Amino acid sequence: MKGIWWKLLGLLLVLFSLVYGMLGPVQRLPILNETIRVLYYHVPMWFAMVALMLTSLIYSLKALNTNNFAQDSYAFEAAKTGFFLASIGLSTGMVWARFTWGAFWVNDPKLNGTAVTMLIYLAYFVLRNSVEDPFKRIRLAGVYNIFAFVMMIVFIGILPRLTDSLHPGNGGNPGFNKYDLNSDMRPVFYSAVIGWILIGLWLTNLRVRYKNLKEKHEQV
Amino acid sequence: MIEQIYQIVKLNFRLEWQERQSYFSILIYILSSVYLSYLVFSEVISAETWNAFFWVIFIFSAVQAAYRSFHYEADQRFLLYYGMVKPENLVLGKIIYNFLYLYATGLFTALVFAFLMGNEINSLGAFLFILLLASLGFSAILTFVAGISAKASNNPALPAILSIPLLYPQLISLSRVSLRSLTGFSWEVNAPLLIVLALLSLVSLLLSFLLFPYLWRD
Repeated sequence: MKGIWWKLLGLLLVLFSLVYGMLGPVQRLPILNETIRVLYYHVPMWFAMVALMLTSLIYSLKALNTNNFAQDSYAFEAAKTGFFLASIGLSTGMVWARFTWGAFWVNDPKLNGTAVTMLIYLAYFVLRNSVEDPFKRIRLAGVYNIFAFVMMIVFIGILPRLTDSLHPGNGGNPGFNKYDLNSDMRPVFYSAVIGWILIGLWLTNLRVRYKNLKEKHEQV
Repeated sequence: MIEQIYQIVKLNFRLEWQERQSYFSILIYILSSVYLSYLVFSEVISAETWNAFFWVIFIFSAVQAAYRSFHYEADQRFLLYYGMVKPENLVLGKIIYNFLYLYATGLFTALVFAFLMGNEINSLGAFLFILLLASLGFSAILTFVAGISAKASNNPALPAILSIPLLYPQLISLSRVSLRSLTGFSWEVNAPLLIVLALLSLVSLLLSFLLFPYLWRD
């Protein structure tokens, strides 16, 4: 994506969702009450994470086919940004869980899924750092990244659907899915999702450019 | 192709048998870790703890057993293989070898468990079948990760770090379904979970098969 328009758009959308998420009207539900607002700060992170991991996967595939360093480092940075967004999503989720479930962490398929996804990507980062030869690194890391993405999809997309979960969106709990996203909340939520994806891509872009500049500086 | 795969499996057994200590070290590894859990947990063994300990020990011994898969290929033999064996055949051969090896390891672990901690297995047929599915999925992922760590070299923690998170999806379903085989198993009720397990193994196999050639070329 060329130009500045998408960066501005992302910024605006995120700003809108951050501010309006606090001020806008939401419906009042038992147990949830005002904590339903976490929808704007928690769920978009996962959308953005999946989008960035997908970007990382695509760049890994490209790098595997062309042996191109630039694409490989883009894949790495995208995965890093995705990981960063996942940690935000995890912490906002934990705060929400403390107030509705009474604990920061419970043994639940969705929570396990995200924890393991993060472990897999940590393993990916470790793998990258333990390979010295850059050509070898493109192949090993790229191949592992594909594996990691497939396992992530299995974990957050397939396994939770097979079991009951405490988490909203599964089972018969007073979660978001039955009531949420009425006409008041929908625009804020969607702008948050799109905004965070754009911000994530921008962040990746910045990191890659920073790294390139640093390398150039070191060569000079 | 089948002939070549068969030769690779045979070669692996021959090579490993020449250096028997790797087999024996896995046996001792299992014995000592099962004995450890026996010492720690001897009073409160229930089907749940039996199940949990069994899978934890099995997963670690499987990682130990399989990470040496490409041990012999590490130096000169790589070069020999490039010319002679297609990478697809090589990885399939290794997966089959590891599958047999892991299944034997799992059976041995179950035996030691039954001996030390009491036989909790209620429906043996189901348990053996679950173990078979587990070995299949584990061997696909572990062989692949062994290939990665053989190429990445000199980080001893790497096989465990790389493979254990990838094994979680299977392990979660496995421990759930195997607990039922300990307490009373019904094939109809558990069919969906078994199908999921089989599909997970299939996906892992397919990924290993498709991605291995990329890993392989230098």
